[in-house]
Amino acid sequence: MAMTYKRNIAHFTDAVGVEEAEGLLAWLQKHPQAKLNLSVCSHLHAAVLQVLMAARLKVAVWPVDAGLSMWLKAALG
Amino acid sequence: MTPILQQFLSEARDFLQGIGQSLLKLEKAPDDAELMSDLFRSVHTLKGNSGLFEFPEMSRVLHAAEDVMSEVREDRLAFSEQLADRLLDAMDFVAMLLDGLDGGVASAAAHAAASVRFADSLRELIRPRELSATDSPAGLRPPPSVERDSAAALPLDAVPEGLRSTWADAARRGEPLHWIIYTPAVDCFFKGEDPLHQARQTAGLEWQRVTPTAPWATPAELDPYQCVLRFDLVSAAAHDVLADHFRYVPEEVVMVPLTLATLLPAAADPPADSAAAGPAGAGTVAGGAAPATAAIVAAIVAAQVSALQLADVGPWVAGRLRAIAATLSACYRSIGREQALPALEAALGSALIAGRAAPLAEWLATQPEACAAPALAMTAAAGELPAVARTAPLPADAAASGAGEAAAGRRPDDGGLAATVLKVDQEKIDKLMNLIGEMVVAKNGLPFLAARAESVYGVRELAREIKAQYAVINRIAEEMQDAIMQVRMMPVSGVFQRFPRLVRDISRKLGKEVRLTLEGETTEADKNIIEALADPLIHIVRNSLDHGIEAPAARRSAGKPAEGQLTIRASQDSGRVLIDISDDGKGIDPAVVKLKAYEKGLIDEAMLERISDQDAINLVFAAGFSTAETVSDLSGRGVGMDVVRNAVERVNGSVTLSSVPGAGTMLRLSLPLSMAVTNVMVIESNKQIFGVPMDMVLETVRVPRSAIRMIKNRQTMVLRNRILPLRSLNEMLAENTVQVSNDQDEMATLVVQIHGESLGIMVDDFREVVDIILKPMGGILNGVPGYSGSALLGDGSVLMVLNPKELVTWQ
Repeated sequence: MAMTYKRNIAHFTDAVGVEEAEGLLAWLQKHPQAKLNLSVCSHLHAAVLQVLMAARLKVAVWPVDAGLSMWLKAALG
Repeated sequence: MTPILQQFLSEARDFLQGIGQSLLKLEKAPDDAELMSDLFRSVHTLKGNSGLFEFPEMSRVLHAAEDVMSEVREDRLAFSEQLADRLLDAMDFVAMLLDGLDGGVASAAAHAAASVRFADSLRELIRPRELSATDSPAGLRPPPSVERDSAAALPLDAVPEGLRSTWADAARRGEPLHWIIYTPAVDCFFKGEDPLHQARQTAGLEWQRVTPTAPWATPAELDPYQCVLRFDLVSAAAHDVLADHFRYVPEEVVMVPLTLATLLPAAADPPADSAAAGPAGAGTVAGGAAPATAAIVAAIVAAQVSALQLADVGPWVAGRLRAIAATLSACYRSIGREQALPALEAALGSALIAGRAAPLAEWLATQPEACAAPALAMTAAAGELPAVARTAPLPADAAASGAGEAAAGRRPDDGGLAATVLKVDQEKIDKLMNLIGEMVVAKNGLPFLAARAESVYGVRELAREIKAQYAVINRIAEEMQDAIMQVRMMPVSGVFQRFPRLVRDISRKLGKEVRLTLEGETTEADKNIIEALADPLIHIVRNSLDHGIEAPAARRSAGKPAEGQLTIRASQDSGRVLIDISDDGKGIDPAVVKLKAYEKGLIDEAMLERISDQDAINLVFAAGFSTAETVSDLSGRGVGMDVVRNAVERVNGSVTLSSVPGAGTMLRLSLPLSMAVTNVMVIESNKQIFGVPMDMVLETVRVPRSAIRMIKNRQTMVLRNRILPLRSLNEMLAENTVQVSNDQDEMATLVVQIHGESLGIMVDDFREVVDIILKPMGGILNGVPGYSGSALLGDGSVLMVLNPKELVTWQ
């Protein structure tokens, strides 16, 4: 599972593919105060990224992956 | 280069030629619908083929050409000269790309911009007016090569100032820096693209930003699968690398070289300095003439500053100083500051005397206003000028696209690379092969000549020289023979490729499930052999499907998977091609075959009792044999396996059949690689000479007469603990002479293999082995069994070549 949802935290694991975008968006609508845990995420698809950008979410833990972290901070920070 | 790429190149050239010709014909007869469909088909096929490889540049142009042709074919667009011109230009471009590929250029990324331009110019024909209104990304913006003009619109202020000054330093050192605006198409997710991944993989990343192209919709209204992202990147990688990286999406990418002039004013001056700071000022700069002039002057002066910073070495220093001074004085005149010119002249004078740039630089330093001209954003002209003046590597992309244009504009009559693949009529190859064959035979005359020189004329020296010469000619002839064989070699895939369709159709008709596996398709053999293979193979495959593989229900009840397996495998084995056709069907039941053969009168009752299972299975090769209960349109007419065997034997091949009832059947066709030149062993019998094909000869032995035993009135001997039946050649040829033995009373015996069994043929003596061109016997002689054909020997005599198989069965 690339994505798991626990209470109001979405956990991203490894590479999160395009197919997760819709589910994430639906989940975010139910959890507007959600937080993100991206620590073990290595890549996320641009479609997922734009959902995160649109929802203006709080990132609780940035990815360990420096490259991705840099990109996400540029997009979400 | 892979064979498939080679084939593509050669085919693509043919297509291009055809397309060119059709276009020219169409210009004369624009209403010819057939010609039009032809043309469309060619373009369509070529596009499809190019899609097999990673040639996005080629596919893009061909795709556009196909769209245009489709419009014309549907009568929505009239064929015009302009249309033909653009199509021809586009095809020239494709030809140029092909030449590049042929020359070993793996990537045509340098031509990406040109390919977009060609594609756009073609599409323009379809919707000349709507184009600007369309939402296709290609239509929204002009091709990337033009877009360097948009330097003014770069949101440079989004970049931290520290980073900007670092870039300015890099630009001053002439290192490449590009600002890339990557706006993926709205529907890009559906094409399997991941723009973030694409952006992350960009080489030499310095800075990045991701923004939405429009304000975000509320989560409830957001469509996650419509891409609304814009990526801004700054990369220090070379233009070529970047162009290559974005080669699949050139129409979605704008690449702006960051020059010192773009960066410098921002870096040199605090943003608070002027009213025009930031990209917001760009509009006013572009709009008002005076600020624009100031901006240009600032850029020019900045360029002179960097020119002054160059090392003062080399014979060109004086020239450079004069050029700088001339440029500066022209600038000052244009902004009405002539009063500063005398000082400039003086500074130039002292600089020239000193041979150093310092006096000029000092003078320039006293003119702060000019240097600090209030323009952050530059117009395109200003952006480009310094780059050109410093001849930094930045204009590389201009040069690359320029080269692309020049090359793409090339007409076929300009010459260029000639195609390296020739298409030759098979007749010509056959003629050449025959001539080489004659040569091989003719050279065999030299040893005879040498022998005559020695024995008849007694000139031993000459005989030796002739033999030496013969060795040379022999070597060349063999190489020639090898070369022509290579020309005639074809992969078996040509025959194999029809089977997937055939198997699919037949199995569907029969209601069976069959999985076909093809192996060894690259195995090569002579064209004639391959062609001779086609019909027998179809027979065999049909037989397998019809008789071999059971219906799904029957297979399941036999404990086998419902889907039957049919495997056709080609391989090479010491000068022969082996084709194995195996299935996992019900196999051949020897009992059933025996009974059928008996019913049809092919064997008698005694035979029925003693025939072995293997022999029984081989009865399926007998003429008129069929086990099928009903005659279908597939098989069951009793012609089939005997036809297969005859066809294979006609090209000197053989068929072996093995089968395990319930588990499957395997047929093996063994064929020679080539049939042009035959290797035969010459033997002597009853004062005549005959040839026996070498591939049938297992060995030659001399058998003492005392070792020959009689079993049931037949001569036999024991060879390495096995009984070998012996036949005398004279007897087989119905000649009433006894075979002659040698001094030690030994019989020369040729051990041959016939249908997998060994037989000793006693002859009078063995002679040499020669290469001959076997000519089949024509006319009345054609019906005489026992001979494969005849050949001319080097001394002019005729050699009859025996066919031991027929000799044995004919008895």
